[in-house]
Amino acid sequence: MDLSVIVNNLSFMFGGLVLTFQLALITMAGGLLLGVVLAMGRLSYRRWLYYPATVYVHFFRGLPLILVIFWLYFLSPVITGRSLNEFSAAVVSFIVFEAAYFAEIIRAGIQSIPRGQILAARSSGLTALDTARYVTLPQALRNMMPALVTQAVVIFQDTSLAYVIGLREFLRRVNLVDAREARSIELYLFAGLVYFLICSAGALYSHRLEKRHQRTC
Amino acid sequence: MGFLNYTFDWSVLWRHPYGTMLVKGIWTTIHLSLLAWVIAVILGIAIGICRVLPPHWVRFLGGTYVQVFRNTPFLVQLFFWYFAAPLMLPQTAQKWLYDNVPDYSYWAGVAALGTYTASRVAEQFRSGLSAISLDHYHAAYSTGLTTLQTYRYVIAPYAFRIIIPPFTTEFLTCFKNSALTMTIGVMEVTHTAYYIDSFTWHGLETTTAASVTYLLISGCVVLLMSFVEKRLHIPGMIIRKS
Amino acid sequence: MIEIKNVGLWYNKTHQVLDHINETIHRNQTVVICGPSGSGKSSLLRCINGLEHFQQGEIIVNGVSVQKPGTNMQKLRSDIGMVFQHFELYPHMTVMQNITLAPMRVRKKSKKEAEKKAMGLLARVGIPEKAFKYPEELSGGQKQRVAIARALAMEPQIMLFDEPTSALDPEMIKEVLDVMIDLATEGLTMVVVTHEMGFARQVAHKILFMDKGQIIEEGAVNDFFNHPKNERTRQFLSRILI
Repeated sequence: MDLSVIVNNLSFMFGGLVLTFQLALITMAGGLLLGVVLAMGRLSYRRWLYYPATVYVHFFRGLPLILVIFWLYFLSPVITGRSLNEFSAAVVSFIVFEAAYFAEIIRAGIQSIPRGQILAARSSGLTALDTARYVTLPQALRNMMPALVTQAVVIFQDTSLAYVIGLREFLRRVNLVDAREARSIELYLFAGLVYFLICSAGALYSHRLEKRHQRTC
Repeated sequence: MGFLNYTFDWSVLWRHPYGTMLVKGIWTTIHLSLLAWVIAVILGIAIGICRVLPPHWVRFLGGTYVQVFRNTPFLVQLFFWYFAAPLMLPQTAQKWLYDNVPDYSYWAGVAALGTYTASRVAEQFRSGLSAISLDHYHAAYSTGLTTLQTYRYVIAPYAFRIIIPPFTTEFLTCFKNSALTMTIGVMEVTHTAYYIDSFTWHGLETTTAASVTYLLISGCVVLLMSFVEKRLHIPGMIIRKS
Repeated sequence: MIEIKNVGLWYNKTHQVLDHINETIHRNQTVVICGPSGSGKSSLLRCINGLEHFQQGEIIVNGVSVQKPGTNMQKLRSDIGMVFQHFELYPHMTVMQNITLAPMRVRKKSKKEAEKKAMGLLARVGIPEKAFKYPEELSGGQKQRVAIARALAMEPQIMLFDEPTSALDPEMIKEVLDVMIDLATEGLTMVVVTHEMGFARQVAHKILFMDKGQIIEEGAVNDFFNHPKNERTRQFLSRILI
């Protein structure tokens, strides 16, 4: 086991980690926003909102992310006449994909609020908007937090897929170092360890949120 | 703005040699996923059982397996199996591997997908088992059944029905993850779609075909599973709505 | 006053919940509705403040028709208070916030005004010291009293109670009934769905007995208990009165 290969290339590889975090954070923000819109569509009684949202969610949940990345990569020149740069292509594919998963989490969170709460709020004269704002959404958010954190961990792991369009995030850089130094065992164990530490922290946080939530119920 | 400056050529999907490539790719996706799934179920249930057995260290081992494999990205595990694992074998075994197993990337893919999915299966199995309350066991024991009989006649049939929906989801996840094996060279359907593009510049058609494949097969699996669920339904038991 | 004219309610087009309900409830009256579960009592209550949509007939509350297209339902609901079997306090807000939410958002009262009124109401229901606690920290009886205060904060002309004591431990029923008796004697128009016959005997002006979606019998308190006209009523009374 020669650990010097890790030490020597640390700054190069960690540079990729910065990109990984950037990608993950932008995806989470964009995915959440789009996810909320889709969730509203999924909960709507209006057919013209419900069907497109449902089709979207089922479509993207049925495909591998890597295929979505390629599909968008091939699609964007057709629509815009030029191809996107790697980072943008990755970001757009990730947001579009993860939004479908966020939509389901949000929908489940909102549906988990007992109907009695909404009846109580409406019976005192609150409008539908006020009911959503003061009664339903604050409670739903608390319910969803563990699942949202878990999804954030998943997104963090999924960023490694940007590898396929050449984006030099963390895993890609580890791979490049391996191509040069051929010390695969150390390098991939190292990569695994880094991801493991970050993702375990996230998983622990999600677990804690769930425990805390259970206690107050 | 080159809007729709693109001429579609759908014949690329059946034209020789691309048609055969695509069919081979689809077939590879299917058998790779199924093979990995079989490994995952066997290994996963074994680990799931480990996590509920009495000895502490057995539970700890099972728990660690699940934590490690779930918290590292599948791609990292895949690379490990493909690049690093052979290096861990003794020289003679390595040489044998490189000489006699030409499509090692396929087998690395199966191993990686199988072990990764096994960790998820183990988790679902444990969850499903823990959903059965202790009272069920007590009721069975109190009528004089032995532990083995209890598991065989009382617990197993019930647990089986509980785990069908989560297992279906896990299979579909496994099926989708098979696409990642393209990064180590496996010619499954996604890779084939990308590969054909490099010859024909009609990647849009091929990736659409690949998408349709995934959606069709997922759809069939979901339909099949809901049929199975209905057949096995016990009155009063809640069927999960997908 | 509430006029219920020939109201019919169906679930899923097949299951009839309310059948030709005709009733008038005058100002300052306390009306008790009793009957077996599934008789439609709660549904009738929810029709009065428009939380349930009925297919046939009309309900007119203080001159406003409940399901007419132009009716401002939100304004109507501000004038009708409702108390639920499972309290339905907002768990993420303190008692004070629970009570002041609607007056501030709907009647546009200032925070100071709303809080002052809330403290007064909490004193009236007997628990002013709980103002800044969360619902989880209260007992069932206390929660229901807060729920009553919350409904009263909107200064409603009519109060609807849907089995307010059914979810309470026996020791706590009295404290809630005492508050309700106070309100009744002060002259508030109340419609109460309950099994608490002691309460009915004390303050009700009229009792309705419902079964299978119909009003089987109605009458003044004494007549109802001592000289029930209908056989079904007699059956019901013999079963619930010890």
